[in-house]
Amino acid sequence: MPQRMVLSGNEAIARGVWEAGVGFASGYPGTPSSEILPALKSLGDAYVEWSTNEKCALEAAAGASLAGARCLVTMKHVGLNVAADPFFTLSYTGVKGGLVLISADDPAMHSSQSEQDNRNYARAAKVLMLEPSDSQECYDFARRGLQLSEDFDTPVMLRTTTRIAHSDGIVEVGERTALDRPCEPTLDPHKYVTIPAWARERRVKVEERTGALRAFAEETDLNRIEPGDPSVGIIASGAAYQYAREVMPQASFLKLGMTWPLPPEKIRSFAAGVEKLYVVEELDLFLTDQVKALGIAVEDLPADLQIGELSPERLAAAFGDLVDPALAGRACPADADTGDAACLVGLPPRPPVLCPGCPHRGVFLTLRKLKAFVTGDIGCYTLGALPPLNSLHSCLCMGASIGEAHGIECVCGKDGKTVAVLGDSTFVHSGITGLVNIAYNGGSSVVVILDNSTTAMTGGQDHPGTGVTLSGRPGRKLDLPALCRAVGIEDVQVVNPRDLKATEEALRKALASSEPAVVIAQCPCVLVSRKRDKPYVIDEDKCIRCGLCVRIGCPAIGVRATEDPKKPQPFIDSDLCVGCALCAQTCPKAAISQTE
Amino acid sequence: MSSEARPTNVLLTGVGGQGIITAGKVMAEVALAAGWQIKKSEIHGMSQRGGSVESHVRFSKTGHVYSPLIPLGEVDLVMAFEAVEGLRAIATARPDALVLVDDRQIIPTSVTSGAFEYPQDTLKRLYASGRRVHVVSSFDLACEVGEPRAANIVMLGAASHFLDFGEEAWQEALRRIVRPKALEINLKAFAAGIAAVQGE
Repeated sequence: MPQRMVLSGNEAIARGVWEAGVGFASGYPGTPSSEILPALKSLGDAYVEWSTNEKCALEAAAGASLAGARCLVTMKHVGLNVAADPFFTLSYTGVKGGLVLISADDPAMHSSQSEQDNRNYARAAKVLMLEPSDSQECYDFARRGLQLSEDFDTPVMLRTTTRIAHSDGIVEVGERTALDRPCEPTLDPHKYVTIPAWARERRVKVEERTGALRAFAEETDLNRIEPGDPSVGIIASGAAYQYAREVMPQASFLKLGMTWPLPPEKIRSFAAGVEKLYVVEELDLFLTDQVKALGIAVEDLPADLQIGELSPERLAAAFGDLVDPALAGRACPADADTGDAACLVGLPPRPPVLCPGCPHRGVFLTLRKLKAFVTGDIGCYTLGALPPLNSLHSCLCMGASIGEAHGIECVCGKDGKTVAVLGDSTFVHSGITGLVNIAYNGGSSVVVILDNSTTAMTGGQDHPGTGVTLSGRPGRKLDLPALCRAVGIEDVQVVNPRDLKATEEALRKALASSEPAVVIAQCPCVLVSRKRDKPYVIDEDKCIRCGLCVRIGCPAIGVRATEDPKKPQPFIDSDLCVGCALCAQTCPKAAISQTE
Repeated sequence: MSSEARPTNVLLTGVGGQGIITAGKVMAEVALAAGWQIKKSEIHGMSQRGGSVESHVRFSKTGHVYSPLIPLGEVDLVMAFEAVEGLRAIATARPDALVLVDDRQIIPTSVTSGAFEYPQDTLKRLYASGRRVHVVSSFDLACEVGEPRAANIVMLGAASHFLDFGEEAWQEALRRIVRPKALEINLKAFAAGIAAVQGE
């Protein structure tokens, strides 16, 4: 009897490739993909690593595949931008051991800087793409993806979204099939060496492969027609399929599990059997445009469905009268019920903030004091842009902080006011090349590496700077100060950001110099170290209620109303305080001290 | 609290770090062991740095569960680990929904900054919404048991009183999920949750 487990989409993917005998797995943490590799590691047997970035991860997997191993590579949607270079050419070389690349997209930007529909990548790179709709399919498709990759000699893209990756469902699991394969890189230069003459041969093969894949898409059970009421036909994939099923259970469905290449005949025959045809999809009109290109009429849905994450109620509203009210939920309960509306009046929002004791807070307090223009990057510290810190002024993509600071200085000159900040994991991911660029081109930027010894934003993964691998083994620890010096930065300072005075001195020195400088603000992430000191307390007799401690934006510092509405009484929640002492350093009256 | 025709929908809501994800996980394990269909989904913004966190749990004894998100207005049981988050969730709940709320206040930075006030009439507003509301002081009860971090298990105990799985099934799930060292105190927390709503 098969075993049934409740697994997230991410855990199910790990289980699927593990059972299919995966031998090599790599990736870079990125929400919502980050849990796949640790889950795979916990199952054992396969080599698993965090690579320095997505490009390195895919290139390593290309090598492992060339040697015959089945491979998994994981990343979030924007990670594929970083890995796009090898990805497009890997489509030409094909694979030896099956290779599945996970692209985890984030509609609604729950924790991303942009929405991006990576179904477009599969089409652009001409690779087979699978789109699971729940955990069971994550498991099934990941398994099958490795086999399909070998059958059709192509990397297979498996695209999830946040709702698929981070939702749990029941999965029927099996056993691992150990693959007895010799480790043997294939000697086939015409296939694997993409000099123009040989790449042109592969270009033809890619088109032949697409033809074969299209024929496969017509017959495979990955794409299935689910007959229902013929008056409404819906084509859908991924999470959109589940939402459409929820609100239109009576409709006919063409459920697509393989969304590139598409099956034109299956689409035509489905469309011919229904009166009105809808395509339900999240983000881009990827399927809609393809169906329309076949000359098939598609009913319009509201254009704003293309922004953000779908939900049952958004779809119910879009389908209007077609939805059975008993099944659709109440579309706008807050409008219909005054009691509900009153519940929502004046509710304070709860924005995410840097944790109590977060070491980044000291750097931002200092940069705010120095009135610096701060180019930022992707990580927890992006929260430095929010009130009350308000001290991060740009954020583009991983590693961009250094490039942006350099650009500002090239046109504005060094006015001593521009500082790039980025985390240690981000610096290794794609900051190093920017720093080399500054040194090489004679720039004079100040770069602050917020070294909290982890990849905090995605849940605390290790990286070369921590010197611990995903397997928990010690690796060679990257020496950040030595690296910065080696690329040509002579002025490198290491400082503890919880020491505000020392941090200010270091930043003032770096800003005053005409040479490029790196300040490494080094203090472990509170979520990883779990180290708590005795909490601090405010002596309310000494406190003049100036509010300076409140302005450091620590969640452990609350306020209580007093008779003077402009001067609430601050207090420290001893449950949340980890004893970092930042507030005590900002207090002008020494009213904050550590409990005994 | 179950119906053959539609799934039972539970919304767990509160602030990052309150153990909401774990509580949802225990609930899913109980439903799995009972042989029910289940889907569960977590919604949290930028990581869990003090922002609002939601877990949607849907289960069904006989039917299929499609969407991992509960359709708006279809929540049968709200488990709010913080008062303002309870208010925020009301519009998602059915008119006949049950609301378990910890009236503990966790002050967001939007309040300390002076931009917003923390409403002092949270319970009054909840009662006025017409739902069945039970206050479960899960944090205080967990502190009494001796483990403040077990507030989520207290809340689960309270919820178990209204759901169609036996007490044994919950204890069994806790045994599988909770670290052995912490099991005894979690079972106590669970019992405290049941006691808090017994007779309701």
